[in-house]
Amino acid sequence: MKACPLGINIPGFIRYLREGSVNEAYSKIRESNCLASICGRICSAPCEKACILNKENAPINIRALERFAGDFGKDKVTRLPISKDSKKIAIIGSGPCGLYSAWALIKKGYRVTVFESLEKPGGVLRYGVPEFRIPKRVLDSDINDIKIEGLEIVPNCFFGQTLSFDDLLQNDFKAILIATGAAIPKYLDIPGVNLAGVYYGEEFLMRVNLMKSNIFSRQIPTFPLGNKIAIIGSGNTALDCARASVRLGREVTLIFRRSEDEMRVKTIERDYAKEEGIKFEPLTRPIEVLASNKNFVKGLKCVRLDYTEQDESGKWQLEEVPDSQFTIEADTIVVAVGHRPNSNIQKFYPSIELDEDGSIMVDADTGMTSLNGVFAAGNVVTNAQPLIRTLGAGKDIADKIDNYLKAQKK
Amino acid sequence: MFEIVNRQILSEGIKRIDVQAKDIARKAKPGQFVAVCPEEGDEKIPLTIVDTDTSRGTISFIFHEKGQTTGKLGSLPINESIYSIVGPLGSPARIEKKGNVICIATGVGIAQILPIARAYSKEGSKVIGIIGAKSKRKLMLESQMRICCNKIFVATEDGSYERKGLATDIFKKIINEQEVNLVYAIGSVEMMEAVCSVTKEKKIKTFVQLNPVMVDCMGMCGSCRVKVGGEMKHACIEGPEFDGHKVDFKEFKMRTQALEELDECHSHKLQPNPQKKESGPLAKYLWGFLKD
Repeated sequence: MKACPLGINIPGFIRYLREGSVNEAYSKIRESNCLASICGRICSAPCEKACILNKENAPINIRALERFAGDFGKDKVTRLPISKDSKKIAIIGSGPCGLYSAWALIKKGYRVTVFESLEKPGGVLRYGVPEFRIPKRVLDSDINDIKIEGLEIVPNCFFGQTLSFDDLLQNDFKAILIATGAAIPKYLDIPGVNLAGVYYGEEFLMRVNLMKSNIFSRQIPTFPLGNKIAIIGSGNTALDCARASVRLGREVTLIFRRSEDEMRVKTIERDYAKEEGIKFEPLTRPIEVLASNKNFVKGLKCVRLDYTEQDESGKWQLEEVPDSQFTIEADTIVVAVGHRPNSNIQKFYPSIELDEDGSIMVDADTGMTSLNGVFAAGNVVTNAQPLIRTLGAGKDIADKIDNYLKAQKK
Repeated sequence: MFEIVNRQILSEGIKRIDVQAKDIARKAKPGQFVAVCPEEGDEKIPLTIVDTDTSRGTISFIFHEKGQTTGKLGSLPINESIYSIVGPLGSPARIEKKGNVICIATGVGIAQILPIARAYSKEGSKVIGIIGAKSKRKLMLESQMRICCNKIFVATEDGSYERKGLATDIFKKIINEQEVNLVYAIGSVEMMEAVCSVTKEKKIKTFVQLNPVMVDCMGMCGSCRVKVGGEMKHACIEGPEFDGHKVDFKEFKMRTQALEELDECHSHKLQPNPQKKESGPLAKYLWGFLKD
């Protein structure tokens, strides 16, 4: 239970499940997590690593239990008692961190408004994770529950352009939380990445998600997509891209630098991917994207790598194997080699200070940025953390904003 | 929410739509654009805000019915609502008083240059407009441009209206005759490239507006990446206006044209065009004999 950043009462809800009362189990989870069925699907499950049964045999599959409780349990959701005179808080971004902190704040009795730039709330959960991992139906019902409890969501509002800090201050917002996440792709620097037919992971997933995705295997893709797709990267985004394109009926090769055991995904997901027929090319580095005569992608020139020696920190060094160049035939390439924080907001408000890697600098104790009353949390601060950590950050920042506003009152 | 107030057909395949959008109308500045999604589940189309009316709270945009989504947008009737419009996006155009300004545009680019030409003439600069199109039927917004420009030149490629030739030909002539302080070019990539190569020699400051493919229009996907001055930039956040001399047109052309070509293939596949059947190779061969 300590391992969970949200502090879900894990033994408690499992006890209810054992007794067969799913609804009670769900309300137990919902005491501390409003996105139960989503966490039950894509959480990285630090609780399973900390499970005491690890020593004996295998841990309890807490994630699956949570998913079961989230999907089948029903909880009475009622409007929370929020008085009309309570302070107003604006949250920018309706991703996991934004939603969670909004939920935590309405539970504390504040009036919270979430501003989302796209047409529907959910952020990365809706546009960055494919349908087969989080069905939109589940996401909609979870967000709807939070809405019933009293959260206001304003879609189609691009903060900095449609709306500014001044507008918010005029409307009596006492605190502003920036939770824009980290969804800007890191660029790959090899010749030919600007050819047509090279996508970045986020772009690819967004395009797939924007197509009517519940029937997408039958839909004609609205963007040029070849039959052989090569995907560069080994993270969750890369694997999502690969599995989404398998579902579009394409031939997929996954290219990554490290070995299969070093992939930053859960083993079970890797096995699913293998089962679905994705070809793995471990220990491979792409050198060049080859162009066809029409400026489209024709193939990908790669080189094999091998482990040579350990450096001081114990990390194995990789080096190219001589004369091991080979070409992978592909007509679409998806690059998913990492994210950068989405700190575009700084372009409109230059007084917000950034770190070297582009994340927003915050005070460790108060969670405040260099502007007074403006907070930041989630991946825009910490960059590329798993879902559960960003939810944890949302929980922390809710407490910090609460403290700040209480101190202001005096 | 975003109700269509007015709809107009300007020329062949080009439509203008006025939409109720209070917040956007209040904030929009010349050179900015909106991302329009006509129905749920469609892709987003970046469209330049041509005109705003703050008292009525409407914005208007002009688009060419090229693909599936723009076709859908064009078929929406008055009083229907558009699913989502986000904006204003992009950085506004840098507008200051600058003696003689040439605004050159071709095709749909004329819609994009109109607010900029208006803003420049409002600031007090002398605006020379050059607009071009393939034929008279495809030329649009000519009267509006005439109102806001001090001088205007019109070129059509087939000579069906005013001067025959390309807009760049007129541009080259004018720039040799007159003293020009600033050039603003919007249109096809070839035109912008040609304009920039001329002004680079003369060291005249040139702005261009690029319209690469965009997906979310908010600087998240990296689909609209453009190489400007050796740096990768997002056209949706840092653009669409760029310093014309720094843009890597070769790479930009490569990306946009390849995608356009494929788009054409797709649309042909989806809607088979019942065109006149041309005579087959055998008939042509035999016809050759008969001629001799």
